[in-house]
Amino acid sequence: MASYDALRHVSIGQYIPADSAVHRLDPRTKLAIAGLGLVAVVVTTTYVPNMVLLVAILAAVRVSRLSARYMLAGIVPALPVIALLALMQLLFYGNGQGTAALGSRVLLSWGAIRISTAGVRLVIVSLMRFVDLLFLTSLLTNTTTSSALTHGMESLLRPLSAIGLPSHELALVCAIALRFLPILGEEAETIAKAQASRGLDEPRGGRLAFVQYARRLAALIVPLFVDAYRRAEEMTMAMQARCYRGGRGRTYYTRYALGRTDWIALGLTVGLLIVVALAQYSPLP
Amino acid sequence: MTASTDAPAIVEISALAHTYLMGTPMETVALRDAHLTVRRGEMAALIGPSGSGKSTLVQFVNGLLRPATPDCVRILGQDTHSSTVDFGSLRRRVGLVFQSPAQQMLERYVGDDIAYGPRQMGLERVIVRERVEWAMDAVGLSFDAFVDRHTFSLSGGEMRRVALAGVLAMRPELLVLDEATTGLDPHGRESVHDLLTTLRDKEGMTVLLVTNDMDEAAALADSVTVLDQGRTVLAGPTRSVLADDSVLSEHGLVCPAATRIVGALADAGVPVARGALTPLEAEEAIWQAMMR
Amino acid sequence: MIPSDIHVDGPLICVEGLSYAYDADGEAPIEALRGIDLAIQRGEYLAIVGQNGSGKSTLARCLNGLLHPTGGDVWVNGLNTRQPENRYPIRAAVGMVFQNPDNQFVSTVVEEEVAFGPENLGVPEDELRDRVHAALERTGLQALHDRNPRLLSAGQKTRLAIASVLAMRPACLVLDESTAMLDPASRLDLLSLLRELHHDGLTLVTITHYMDETVDADRVLALCGGHIALDGTPSQVYARVNELASLGLSLPAAAAIARGLAYRGVDLDEGIVSTEHLVSAVVSRMSQGGTA
Repeated sequence: MASYDALRHVSIGQYIPADSAVHRLDPRTKLAIAGLGLVAVVVTTTYVPNMVLLVAILAAVRVSRLSARYMLAGIVPALPVIALLALMQLLFYGNGQGTAALGSRVLLSWGAIRISTAGVRLVIVSLMRFVDLLFLTSLLTNTTTSSALTHGMESLLRPLSAIGLPSHELALVCAIALRFLPILGEEAETIAKAQASRGLDEPRGGRLAFVQYARRLAALIVPLFVDAYRRAEEMTMAMQARCYRGGRGRTYYTRYALGRTDWIALGLTVGLLIVVALAQYSPLP
Repeated sequence: MTASTDAPAIVEISALAHTYLMGTPMETVALRDAHLTVRRGEMAALIGPSGSGKSTLVQFVNGLLRPATPDCVRILGQDTHSSTVDFGSLRRRVGLVFQSPAQQMLERYVGDDIAYGPRQMGLERVIVRERVEWAMDAVGLSFDAFVDRHTFSLSGGEMRRVALAGVLAMRPELLVLDEATTGLDPHGRESVHDLLTTLRDKEGMTVLLVTNDMDEAAALADSVTVLDQGRTVLAGPTRSVLADDSVLSEHGLVCPAATRIVGALADAGVPVARGALTPLEAEEAIWQAMMR
Repeated sequence: MIPSDIHVDGPLICVEGLSYAYDADGEAPIEALRGIDLAIQRGEYLAIVGQNGSGKSTLARCLNGLLHPTGGDVWVNGLNTRQPENRYPIRAAVGMVFQNPDNQFVSTVVEEEVAFGPENLGVPEDELRDRVHAALERTGLQALHDRNPRLLSAGQKTRLAIASVLAMRPACLVLDESTAMLDPASRLDLLSLLRELHHDGLTLVTITHYMDETVDADRVLALCGGHIALDGTPSQVYARVNELASLGLSLPAAAAIARGLAYRGVDLDEGIVSTEHLVSAVVSRMSQGGTA
């Protein structure tokens, strides 16, 4: 019996109030740290820097007083895909090219299949990076209200509006997207239930289960799209009715100011980055 | 309004509780202690303020949600806690029409969409066609004009009828409508009301209406169940439940307009019988009072 | 809360020969509005009723320039809605609340949502705080100022949508079927808020399917096929029973009862539409002893 609650498990994008240092940081600081974290995740391909990163991110989650388990639950719907990818990489990556090939040993070879230590490392490191990204985005969006995010993004982008970049519009687009994630999640759940009530492919298990699952997902797409589009139309009208005209001539109800904790957090992040970069480009595994 | 209290109950829900996303920061308790009984052949109404858990409760009626404990929910004689229940078959016998019709569209063309249920049931083409024609006629959609239309290009009212036709085509024993008339104009509301009454009287269908509209419940239902914050607070024949304004307002509800009017008159000292449910009954009651 | 804006003489909104047509799926254009002439005075409370498809929402959207007429003109405070440079002053003067509040909110904090409108207008920051506070007070949401709008009840969400428009200090508030998704208790709450706003001097235009909601209005407009079919005070409009029936509309409960009694030979006051009026008329008739 399908559990429809899974569609509601959108941990990304939900603000979860709590009293923590992370919550209290200026949104610009958090955005900057998330950006730097993203760079770090992309750049690291070896074990040691990834371990350092993962530990640092987990420490940040701890400080935020949020539940790491809840954030991890966001991965659950994607697990089948991840598992499949991991398996493919493990079996077929082979010895890799360039620096990855250095010091790589083949563990098992059978026809087209080639399992090597480089392959194993790729799978493990990829998994860690995936988890890092999940935690980073959840941390950012769970500890920062949508509006704080908009303000932060807009503030960071504002210098660019001098060269014509629509900074407020961009920031607002992101904020609205985040705001609607849980709404669309619930809508998807309702659509799935409504379709199930019509008799859409009851899960019968067995070998066809995956096909049925895929078919049910596909049936969600059109109604969900139509729903999202309609909401977008209404939202546009409502914003126009309230005289939205981008960033020109706007004033701001909420103002943020950087404090000591912000500078400390930024300093720690930069320090971490240096450590990670050193580890990555050293001969460490 | 027929009310047969010795007809068998096809929905028996007692002491039902349900929590969404249990164990997460988003945990919400939707139902605490819900009871609901619907007898065969009747038109039952489920009312309650927004957020009372009505939509959650009806999802137990067609097996979308299953109870955590046995002996809590019995639909058409089957305990839905049990894993041996064939939910596919249950959902054909209990048709649930959701509030927003666009959510239930499954096919590109109207005809295909309405035929979806019967086809899934494995019925022959001739019978499928018969069912589709019957269903479209019942909801007032012309077969020739609509059968080839694109489902998503329809107006809200038309889509609602298609959604209803799609569920009717399965000839369910129990029809459940989650706020079927919200947003309809008076004319639209009336045609849905007529349709439901016909289904109950001529086809013997049992109907469960989830509604916010007291006047609608008063005019159509044989029995009413009131839900407030996940608990059933009142249940019984329409007249006894809806006529008591003081109890209803405790739960954030108002009684039908006609009831309020005779209530106000009675409070002002006019010897009029309380408890009128429709404008017609109120008119009759006032007339009676004046004749004395 | 009422703006000290440009105070031009004459009606707040002037509609002359308004027509609106749009293309539909390769067929001939659909005329949603055909030659509407209408003047809305400052401080007036106008209710617009009509079947689905009669053009009500289209008319509403022409009033604040969201839609440009395809024929005729609409003037707000002397400004023509067709001219792009008039766009913002017009929308600041005529605020609009739509049916589904969830699709209007841009923010995840109540007070920031209310601030969005005046922020767009470039209201200076110290004044922003005052406006937000005043709007929240007016709609009774002050205690919820830092909550997430998603967690509010349906009635509270609608009030938040209203507050976020009120913060712009409009001269007129247009509500497009804002009560359609509310339960009866929330609907009554909202109506009493509207009465208070009207009392403050705000011009109100409400579009609704529920005739009972129109009894407080100064004037009722019934649309049919893009034309104005009926225009008058509620008492005048609801006296035209046959025409209302042909328009697919119904009477408010009190009016229906008064009508029914009239057919039986009991002539109460003219033009009864509200519960209070019906009750007082019946009471005074009874105290005069017996029937007509």
